[in-house]
Amino acid sequence: MQLNYTPEQDAFRTEIRQWLADNVPEKPLLTLEGEEGYHQHVEWERKLASGNWGMVTWPEQFGGRGLDLIQWLIFEEEYWAAGAPLRVNQNGIFLLGPTVMEYGTEEQKSRFLTPMAKGEKIWAQAWSEPGAGSDMAAITTKAVRDGDEYVITGQKTWSSRASFADWGFGLFRTEEGSKRHRGLSFILFDLNSPGITRRPIRQLHGEPGFAELFFDEVRVPAENMLAGEGEGWNVAMATAGFERGLMLRSPGRFQAAAKRLVDLYRTHEANASPSAREAVSKAWMDTQAYAYNTYSVAAKILAGGKIGAEASLNKIFWSELDRAMHRTAMQILGAAAELTKFTDGSINQWLEGYIFSLSGPIYAGSNEIQRNITAERLLGLPRQGAG
Amino acid sequence: MEFLLTDDQATLTEGVREFLTGTHGPEVLRRLDEEGNRDPAIWQSLVEMGLPGLLVPEENGGLGMALLDAALIAAECGRACLAEPLVDTAFVAVPWLMAKGETGELAAIAAGEKTVPLAHNINGWTADGNGEALESVDPLRNLSPLTPDATDDELLLNLGALMSSAQLVGLASAMLDQAVEYAKMRNQFGQPIGSFQAVKHHLASATVALEFAKPVVWRAAQAMDDGQENAAIHVSHAKLAAGDAALQMAETAIQVHGAMGYTYEVDLHFWMKRSWAHIGAWGSRAFHTKRVDDAVIGGAMNIGPQHTFG
Ligand SMILES: Cc1cc2nc3c(=O)[nH]c(=O)nc-3n(C[C@H](O)[C@H](O)[C@H](O)COP(=O)(O)OP(=O)(O)OC[C@H]3O[C@@H](n4cnc5c(N)ncnc54)[C@H](O)[C@@H]3O)c2cc1C
Repeated sequence: MQLNYTPEQDAFRTEIRQWLADNVPEKPLLTLEGEEGYHQHVEWERKLASGNWGMVTWPEQFGGRGLDLIQWLIFEEEYWAAGAPLRVNQNGIFLLGPTVMEYGTEEQKSRFLTPMAKGEKIWAQAWSEPGAGSDMAAITTKAVRDGDEYVITGQKTWSSRASFADWGFGLFRTEEGSKRHRGLSFILFDLNSPGITRRPIRQLHGEPGFAELFFDEVRVPAENMLAGEGEGWNVAMATAGFERGLMLRSPGRFQAAAKRLVDLYRTHEANASPSAREAVSKAWMDTQAYAYNTYSVAAKILAGGKIGAEASLNKIFWSELDRAMHRTAMQILGAAAELTKFTDGSINQWLEGYIFSLSGPIYAGSNEIQRNITAERLLGLPRQGAG
Repeated sequence: MEFLLTDDQATLTEGVREFLTGTHGPEVLRRLDEEGNRDPAIWQSLVEMGLPGLLVPEENGGLGMALLDAALIAAECGRACLAEPLVDTAFVAVPWLMAKGETGELAAIAAGEKTVPLAHNINGWTADGNGEALESVDPLRNLSPLTPDATDDELLLNLGALMSSAQLVGLASAMLDQAVEYAKMRNQFGQPIGSFQAVKHHLASATVALEFAKPVVWRAAQAMDDGQENAAIHVSHAKLAAGDAALQMAETAIQVHGAMGYTYEVDLHFWMKRSWAHIGAWGSRAFHTKRVDDAVIGGAMNIGPQHTFG
C-alpha cells in the first residue's frame, strides 16, 4: 500500500486546479433540473471540453486524455473542491460512454463518444416504464425490425434530463412474445425523432428534471443498436454496474459536502445539539471511508480486476451517507431549513441537496434491490421460495 | 498512490487464516473454556509460524514487518477468536518498546519466551497479567486489575486501538459467516430462513458496514507505518468504524440465529463477547468520537476532497 502521490500525479493536480480556478463560474448555476439551468450546464460542459477535460480517462481520439483511474480521482477531487457544476451529461459520459467503449463497434465509438466528451450531445437514460421499475425485465416497449430500421412503439418514464436532452439510450423488446430478460436489445435514439413525444414531469422540487417518453412508430436505424439483437440485458447490466460502481458518484462530491457541513456546523455551533456534532464528524468519516474504498477499487481495476456485485454495497453506502449528511444540515439549519433562498438571497443548497438525496436510495436500482443482490450474490443466500 | 494490499500480504494472511482454521476451530474455544483458557501448545504453534516476531527487527531475530502486515494478521486472530496474547505482545507491545528504544527483550519475545502484559490507564484492567482475576463476560479473557506502573502513553493507546480495530474486523467477518451458514441451513415455513428478505436485508446492511470499515482500518495502519501527522485521528476513525460494524454484526448474527443464538451452546457467543470487549477496550466510543470531532470540527486537520490522504 502506497498512499503518496507521484510527482506526475501532483503536477496533474496542480494543472487541473489552476484551470478550474480560472474557469469555474463564480456564481453557482441555476439548478440543472430546470430549463434555464440545464442550458447553463450544457454551456459549462462545452467549456470543460474546450480545455479537454470532458472525460480524462477516455482515449485522446475520442476527446479524452488517456489518463488512468487514479488521475480521474484526482480530477474529481479538484473538480468538487472547486465547487464546479454538476455534470449534465453524467448519464452519457459515466454510464453510456463506458458501455459503448466495451460493446460498441469502431464506427459507433467514433460516432457517439467524441460528441459526448465534447458536450455536443447530451444523453438521457430510458430503462424505466410504467410497469417496469425495479422489475426492469418487465419492459414491454417494442422495437420491430423493418428493413434496416427498428420501429419503436411504447412508453418510457422517469428519464432524467429527457425533457431537454438530445439523445437517449434504453432497452427495448425486439423479439415478439419473448419473456423477461430474453429478447431485449440496447438501442440508442435521437430524442428529436418524429414520433417521440416528451412529457416533462415535475420532480419533488418542482422542476422538470425527468420526463415521460411516448414512442409512436419511431424509426431508428439498425446501426444504433449496441451489441447484437437480444443481447440488451447483459449490456444494460454492464451499464448498471458503471452506475452503481465506480463512476457515477465519485467521492469528491460527498467529501466536499461534508466539508461544507463542518463549516455550517461551526457557524451554528452555539445552538446545535450534541447529536449534530457527532453526525457532522460521522459525515467526514463516512465520506473518507467511501474515498478509501473507491481508491481501492480503482487500484484493483488497474491491477486487472473487475467490480461485480460489490457495486451494490457501494450504491447503498453513498446514497445513505448522502441522505444522512443532508438531513443533518437540515436539522442544524432549523427554521431556516424550509427557505428556498436565505434572507441574504443565496440559494439554500442544503434544501436542494436534501431533496435530491432522497432520490439516491431509489434510482440506479433501489437500495432494497441492492440489498437483495448483496444477500444473494455476495453472501450466497437462496432466493425466496427456494425449498 | 496505490490503495492495494500486496500479493505478499495476501499470501501471508491466507497462510495464517488456513493455519488457524485448521487448528483453532470452535471446538478449541469450547475446550479452552472448560480447561483453563490458555494452552502452551497453541502458543507454541504461533511461535513456530514466527508470529510473535512479526514486527521484531531482523537483527533481533524477528521478521521486521510493518504495522499493516500485523493488522492483517490481527484480523485473522479476530476471525479465529484467538485467545492467546499474541496481538497484545507482538503487535502492540513490540512496536511500543521499539519506539521507546527498549530493545532488550525483543529477541525473547520473537522466540516466544516472553509475553508483555499491557497496563494502560484508559482500560482500567490488564489483560494476561498476573494479578487476582477480574471476570470478563468473554470467558476466554484473562483480566486483572491495573498494576501501579500503568501508563497514559499515547502511542501505546493508538497501537492498542489500531489492533483492536483490526481484530474487530475479523470478528465481524466470522460472525457474518456463521450467520450466513445458519441462514442457509435452518428451515422454517418450508424454506431456508436466508431466503426471507428481512433476514437478507439485516445481513446485507451489516455487510455494508463491515466492508466500509476494512479500508479505514488498513489506512489507519498505513498512516501509523508512515508516521503521518494525523495518524491518531485515523486510528480513532478505524476504532469507531470497526467497533460499530462489529456491534451491528453481532446483533444481526444473534437475531438471525433466533433462540439458538441466545444459548451458550452455539459458538457465536465467543465472537460476540470478544467483540464487546474490543469495542470498549483502548478508548471508548466517546473517547474516539471526541478525538475525531476535535480534529475535524476544531480545524486542526485539513478536510475535503483534496485531503483524502493528508
Ligand atoms: C431522481 C430519479 C431519476 C431517475 N432517472 C431515471 C433515468 O434517467 N432513467 C430511467 O430509466 N429511470 C430513472 N429513474 C427511475 C428509477 O430507475 C426507478 O425509480 C427505480 O428503478 C425504482 O422503480 P420504481 O420507481 O418503479 O419503484 P418500484 O419498483 O415500484 O418500487 C417501489 C418500492 O418497492 C420496493 N421494491 C420493489 N421491488 C422490490 C423487491 N423485489 N424487493 C424489495 N423491495 C422492492 C422498492 O425498493 C421501492 O422501495 C429515476 C428515478 C429517480 C427517483
